[in-house]
Amino acid sequence: MNPIDPRVHQALDGEIPRDTLPPELRRQAERLEAVAALLAETPAIESVAARVMATVARPAPTRGRRLVRWFVTPHAIVLRMRPLWSVALAAGILFLAFFPVRETGPRLGQEEGVAQFVARFPDARSVAVVGSFNDWRPGSIPLEDVDHDGIWRASIVLPAGTHEYMFVVDGERWVADPLAGRYIEDDFGRENSLLIVRPTKR
Amino acid sequence: MDSRSDLSDPEVVARVLNGEQEAFGILIRRYEPGLLRYAARMLSSRDLAEDAVAEGLVRAYRHLASCRDPSRLRPWLYRIVANRCKSYLARRDAGDVSLEEAPPLADPVDNEAAVEQAEQMALVQRALATLSAEKREAFILKHVEGMSYEEMAVVTGERVPALKMRVHRAREALLQALEEHQ
Amino acid sequence: MKALGLLLLAVLPLSAQSVRARLEGRVPASSIVAIDSLVRVAAAENLPTEPLIQKAIEGGAKHVSGDRIVRAVELNLDQYRQAQALLVRAGDAPPVTPAEVAAVVSARKRGLGAPVVERIVAAVPDERRSSALHAVADLVGHRFDPDSATALILEAVRQGMHGLRLLDVSNAAILEIQRGRTRAEALAAIRRDLPNVAAAPAPARAAVQRARRPVAATGREPSGP
Repeated sequence: MNPIDPRVHQALDGEIPRDTLPPELRRQAERLEAVAALLAETPAIESVAARVMATVARPAPTRGRRLVRWFVTPHAIVLRMRPLWSVALAAGILFLAFFPVRETGPRLGQEEGVAQFVARFPDARSVAVVGSFNDWRPGSIPLEDVDHDGIWRASIVLPAGTHEYMFVVDGERWVADPLAGRYIEDDFGRENSLLIVRPTKR
Repeated sequence: MDSRSDLSDPEVVARVLNGEQEAFGILIRRYEPGLLRYAARMLSSRDLAEDAVAEGLVRAYRHLASCRDPSRLRPWLYRIVANRCKSYLARRDAGDVSLEEAPPLADPVDNEAAVEQAEQMALVQRALATLSAEKREAFILKHVEGMSYEEMAVVTGERVPALKMRVHRAREALLQALEEHQ
Repeated sequence: MKALGLLLLAVLPLSAQSVRARLEGRVPASSIVAIDSLVRVAAAENLPTEPLIQKAIEGGAKHVSGDRIVRAVELNLDQYRQAQALLVRAGDAPPVTPAEVAAVVSARKRGLGAPVVERIVAAVPDERRSSALHAVADLVGHRFDPDSATALILEAVRQGMHGLRLLDVSNAAILEIQRGRTRAEALAAIRRDLPNVAAAPAPARAAVQRARRPVAATGREPSGP
């Protein structure tokens, strides 16, 4: 293998300007770049997006899923009912049709938004978020891991604006949020995560 | 276009982990073209590239929570797909799967410039196929996918000085192969 | 005016008491007097007081020693004074408010140098400044060059963008590098798009519906933007 002059490597790595190369070396650099440009053309390959999304949407059947399957599979169901009850049932259905269930969830003020906290702590017994919004009181905003997959979640109404926070794992371990994307010195030798809550319109 | 595609990677990751499965589609749209190109160049086969990327993305979805630094999601995804590619290449060495030796023929073209480009592409692909998998990977990540040496370190698990050396050797081998094939 | 003076006299000792009451049990007892007096100094100099109390409580929650908590509060007070001086130096219209001071200190703690902050203060009117500072800090946090990051955000301001929309600008640039563009390319692309940068999407409906209010929310005003 013929070694390339080190200056070609330096130019290709952006360490020296291209035009400082003598013409012969510049041709080598340009040749390699032309090759890269050809290879960078997007090949005509079909997207695998649908295939991937179909696979990830197919979890192992849970109890709920088995129940759904039971409902969608044909079964012979015999109902014996007095006419009076069938009238009551019809009235109930009509009531539900005219007075639909109201949208659930909290009423948000104009200057409030929703903060979503998510963190992975596979071996944790408890995870809480503490910050300037709850006077740094551990335990007052617990995250939940309903399906025991090690991913802890909480969706919290907070005043719009900037908040500093950390996670407290098992009541003692303080951890910055790896998903925060914004961090700020905490003046105690570590960093807090920084959250900017936008007002949510409903 | 889906307005959520304007979320940053850590925001999308947070949404997926928060149960918004369909948000993973944003990441697929964002990175699939590059991943398919990378796999196609590594494996010289469209079908195997599709399989490697599809399997890699499913694996990425299942292990998304273990991505330590979601602001550097791109090299993490490449790492997973790179590992799938390596396992295909190992199976090819063992004779389990057959790869197309020659690159696929270009579609019929009637334009002279396009013919020439297709020929150039075939030449380059043949030269690239003569490189070891490690060198091929180094050249593609650096020059085709435009990664920094630090990102390449995340993908390959190697240290930056070793990668720099590998890219240098790859450039030399590629230039030589091009001369021999010309 | 006299009535206001009497009212202030009546309220001041009470608020001093309430600072001590809030610190009681949250920080080591030996540090309460020192913290309380630092908070009073801040109030007298028209500097932020609530973040100082928060800093002390944060230290207590993190089981930091009383001495270190007092040092952290002193350090913050000192940073507030420097920020106040910076605001005056950069030509901020008086009076310098505690919120403006807090925004500058937050930006400095996020890693922005004083010259960059001064440039933003001089160019952006007060109510837009906090978001502008966060937007530049977001970019610098993603290893964008501070001068180019500042130039991009100031250009967005010049084109009439303000408030949280400025964070959309920094988000868009960060997204470009995550897609594999170089920082220079990302800045150029976003600058071309200004002011038509996509707005941040609302949180998913399901997330809003299951959102709950924190039990011990204090209801105090957070700092901007």
